[in-house]
Order: sequence, then structure tokens, then C-alpha cells
Amino acid sequence: MNPLIEVRNLMKIYNPGENEVHALDDISLRIDAGEFVAVIGQSGSGKSTFMNMLGCLDVPTSGSYYLNGEDVAGLTDDALSEIRNREIGFIFQGFNLIPNLTALENVELPLIYRNIPAAKRHALSVASLEKVGLKNRMEHKPSEMSGGQQQRVAIARALAAAPPVILADEPTGNLDSASSKEIMQILRDLHKEGRTVILITHDNKIAASAKRVIRIIDGKIVSDTRIKEEGNQDIEAIAAKIEAEGE
Amino acid sequence: MSQFFEYLKMAVSNIRANKMRSFLTMLGIIIGISSVILIMSLGNGARNIITEQMSGIASGQIALYTYDDTGSYEITKDDIAAIKEQVDGIRGINSYMSISGTTSTKKGEFQVQASGQMASYMIFSSTGILKGRYFNETEYLAGQPVCLIGERDAVRIFGSTDVVGMNLDVMLWEKEVTFTIIGVEQAEKESMFTFTYENSPIYIYFPLTVLEQVYGMEFETYYQIYLMAEDGADTGTITTQVVDLLERRHQCIGEDIYQYESFNDYMETVNTVLNVVTMLISLVAAISLIVGGIGVMNIMLVSVTERTREIGIRKALGAKTRSILLQFLSESAIITMIGGLIGIISGVAEAFLVAKIVAAVNPVFAFTPSVSVVTVVVTTVFSSAIGLFFGIYPARKAAKMSPIEALRRN
Repeated sequence: MNPLIEVRNLMKIYNPGENEVHALDDISLRIDAGEFVAVIGQSGSGKSTFMNMLGCLDVPTSGSYYLNGEDVAGLTDDALSEIRNREIGFIFQGFNLIPNLTALENVELPLIYRNIPAAKRHALSVASLEKVGLKNRMEHKPSEMSGGQQQRVAIARALAAAPPVILADEPTGNLDSASSKEIMQILRDLHKEGRTVILITHDNKIAASAKRVIRIIDGKIVSDTRIKEEGNQDIEAIAAKIEAEGE
Repeated sequence: MSQFFEYLKMAVSNIRANKMRSFLTMLGIIIGISSVILIMSLGNGARNIITEQMSGIASGQIALYTYDDTGSYEITKDDIAAIKEQVDGIRGINSYMSISGTTSTKKGEFQVQASGQMASYMIFSSTGILKGRYFNETEYLAGQPVCLIGERDAVRIFGSTDVVGMNLDVMLWEKEVTFTIIGVEQAEKESMFTFTYENSPIYIYFPLTVLEQVYGMEFETYYQIYLMAEDGADTGTITTQVVDLLERRHQCIGEDIYQYESFNDYMETVNTVLNVVTMLISLVAAISLIVGGIGVMNIMLVSVTERTREIGIRKALGAKTRSILLQFLSESAIITMIGGLIGIISGVAEAFLVAKIVAAVNPVFAFTPSVSVVTVVVTTVFSSAIGLFFGIYPARKAAKMSPIEALRRN
């Protein structure tokens, strides 16, 4: 079976020439469908750049990136837009909802760009909002909702078009601990349903929800660990393990 | 193209989200468009009324004259007969001579302008007869002292318009002539070209040949004659033919002895001048339209900057360059089109308001503003073009943003 994501010798170099910054330095990696992967690293480690590459928001300086069997490394902006729309559901740290649209309209956005007819779009969006428990908040604007609710809208938006990859960049970074737990539970549920979830974070406790942890330091992958299911393991314990591995 | 509808919806929702700003932006376009419509409508309306009133006076008239000091080029009776026979499209030929005199009636003493006319006077008279009749060819040839008088003048000197059959004694060149009134002409409709003043003379019209009878003058030649073209006849062609004929008959081909003034030519000149004036003022109004367009561009640029993050989100979610471009372009196009529509309606309303005020202030100048379809279509196209033109730069700026750059900004 083809891997969902296959990255080979990925390089991203800023300011080529004098003050070269190797944000990503020869990264190779494969992620299969249905995995729940956490990419961890401190700020400045290159994990955000890596997330931009995986999310097709940016193109690498060199190397190849196969997403769902398609080489996306050298595509044009518009082709990348189409790939993002079809293949990736984004969940951002800052929620990134459009303020003057209602929750429902926000969820509908990627479906509009996918050219899905209004009736079907509406049905998919309502179903998606229902899934994150916000059916009764559909007509609310982001400013009328709590942070946790806003992030749930963002998750509904990422899910609505059923993309193969869910890419979550510090999804709990702006949330209190109760909301964080809610959001992580939703991500775990999505994984259980068989979706591929890639989580970018600096927080070991958050990463502990994943089944595979990839640590990036200075643009290089320094570890790639699968977390074994050992009964009902405590998140704290796993986090400690991840912590220990990092040192 | 179902997606285009979505972009329109996005644009509308954003315009509604910023009502005050959108309205103020629109205002520039509204003022520009309504000024253009206002001026064009007033200009056209004024031109129509001027044309109408002037045509009433002298449409189709051609004056033909010769500056001749030898006498050999003056237009003879034979010339007139030849013109009538050989040139098509002429209803009549006239020549006249005006002399002044006085008359006294029970109502007092009056100055008189007595105008000797040919029998074709009835064709040249623009008002029509109220009572009685015009003089005929027989009376003309016989030099009978009959006359026509205007409705108002009849009232002035007799206190009534029932004057047909009455006699009027007029002192002309120290001779008293007794005219029998055979007709009363209708008063001219009051227009911006009628000038009446107190003690203006009484006008009477009589057969030119009376002067031959009374003073022994001979009217064999005329230095000036008037031609009346048939309705719809080309006065230019008639003039050329008549001048050619006269030059041939007097052996002066190409010497420009015969000059002419055609009322229709004159009308064309007046029209051209009015058009140019209207166009010039419209141009000034159009400049305000461009200023309005720059306002639209300015606001769209602000909007693009403000909504950088939104653009980033949309792009991350799969919006293509074209999608963003269309969304922003729709916004400026809708603003200018709504502005244009309101501008057209208010421009027309303003034009009718101005016309009403003019009519109330001075009924003589009353006119109906004329809103031509062409004006409306042209301004609509122009305002949409402005929206697209001034919208394209901000929209392109938005569309070309990189999603990561845009998302990074707050």
C-alpha cells in the first residue's frame, strides 16, 4: 500500500547565500493512512515550517513530497490551493475563523471552494457541526463563542469536506485546560474513526494523545517513536516518557 | 459558474457588514453619476425646447441676398419665376420691405411697422390666422391696400380682435394710406425668443405692391429674397441649386455674389454649440466620477489590508487566486453599480426638480428634461467600468498574497 504522506530529503532554506537558515534539513518521513502522529519541537525547531510543507502552504527548496500518491513539491499556487482543499483539513492555533461569518458559513467555506452545491454543502456542514456538538450554535458569529467552541467550529470546518489528512497546529495553544481536553478528545475520536491526524505541538502532554511521536530539533528529525498501547496508560506517564526520550 | 454566485454573496455580505463605509464609498459614485445624468438631461431638454421654439419661428427658411453695387446682380422677378420652375422642394418665395409710420385710433397714437410682403407671406407667417384670411395673389398683383394685424396689436389699438373689415389709417412717409383689415394673426406663443416691450410698434402686413400704387415705386428687382423649403426638404441642396441658377442667369459663376443664410444651418450651429457646452460640463461631472472611483479603490485597498488574515484563511482552505480576485472585484463592482443605479435615479429626479423650479420661476423657459437611453446606458457602463478598473488593483493585491504570509499577519 502506498503511504499517505511520503517525504524524501526535504530541505527548506531561507535567505540562500550569506546567512542561510536551514529551517528543514534533509527530512525524510512516511505517514500511513489512519495514523495519529505528533510532531514535537521547541519554537524555532522548524516544526512550523514542516507543518507548512505538509499542509501545502509552502513549497520546499528541494526534496520531494508525495501526498496521496501525488508529487506536490513543484506545483503552482493554484494547484496547491486545490490540493489543500481536497486533501487537508486545517486546525490552527488561532482558530482562524472569519469574524463576520457565522459558524455554519465558516464551516461551509472549504466546500464552497470545492464547488459543492448549496444544499449538499449545507447538509455536510450541519452534520459536521453536530459532530463537534455545536448544532445549536450554527448561526453564532465567532465573537459570540468561547475559545473552545471556536476551535470546535474550526474542527468542524476541517472535517466537513472529509479530507484524508487532518493537520492540527497547536490546536490547544490558545485554550484553557478544560477546553484543551475536549479538543484532544475530539482528535482522539477522529483517529479512532480511522482518520489520519497530524498534530504539531511543543507540549508533551498534548503529544501524548498520539500513537507516534516525531521530534524535530534544528530542522532535523531526531527521534520517531511509536507509543505502544499498554492497556489504559496514563497520559502523564506517556508524556514523561516522551520527555525522557527528548533528553 | 455557480461559484461566481458564491463570490457575489460573499461580496454582498461584506458590503452589508460595513454599511456606513460602503455607503460613503458609494456616495462618490452617486454624486458623479447623478451629476452627469443631471447635466445631460438638462442639456438635452434645453436643446429640445430651443429647437422647438426656434423651428416654430423659422424652420426651413433660407435668406438669399446679394451685395451688389452695380444693380446688375439683383434678383429679378424672372429669376424668381425661374427658381420656382427649376428648383424642387420650394414652397414659396418672398421678399419684403418694412417702413415705419404712425396711426391714431380711439385708443391713442401708435408707432407702426408696416411690412410690404409678397402673396407667399401666408407660408412664411409662423403663427397662423385667428380671424379673416391672408391676402391672395390677385390682391397682391392689384396692389390692394389690405392688411393683416396681430392679435395683441388689434386689442391694443381697437380693444378687440373683431376688426376684420375695419379700416386703419396709417401715415407712411407723409402719406396717409387707408388699409382694410382682412385678417388677424394669432399671437405668437410666448417663448424665450419673444420680446415685447411697452410702446413697441404695431405690426401690419400688406401686399408689397401697395407701395407701387401709393408711391410709384417699382419692385422689379430685390437684393434679398426668402425661400421656404418644403417640410423635410434638404435646405443645403436647395440653396446650392438656387445659387447655381442665379449665377448662371447673371453670368457670375463662382464669384460668390449671392450669399445665403439657412435657418437649418443656423440651427445646426446652435445645436453643435449646445452639445459642446453639455459635453464640457459633463466632462467636469465625469471627473467627479473618477474621483469617486479613486475613493472605491482607496477603500478596497484598506479593506484588503484589514482582511489580510481572512484572505490567508480562505487561501489555506482552498481559495484560488481567481476566487479571491473575483470576490474583491465583485465587491467594488457591486458598490459602483448600486451607486450608479442610485446616481441615475437621483440624477433624473434632480433634473425634473430643476425643470420644475425653472417652470415655476419663469414659465417662458419651462422645459422637460430629456433622459436619453443612451445617456443611461453609457453612464451605467461607465460606472461599472470604473468599479472594475479601480477594483482590479486592490483585488489583484489580495489575490496574490501568499497564504502563510497572510496567516502570519494579525
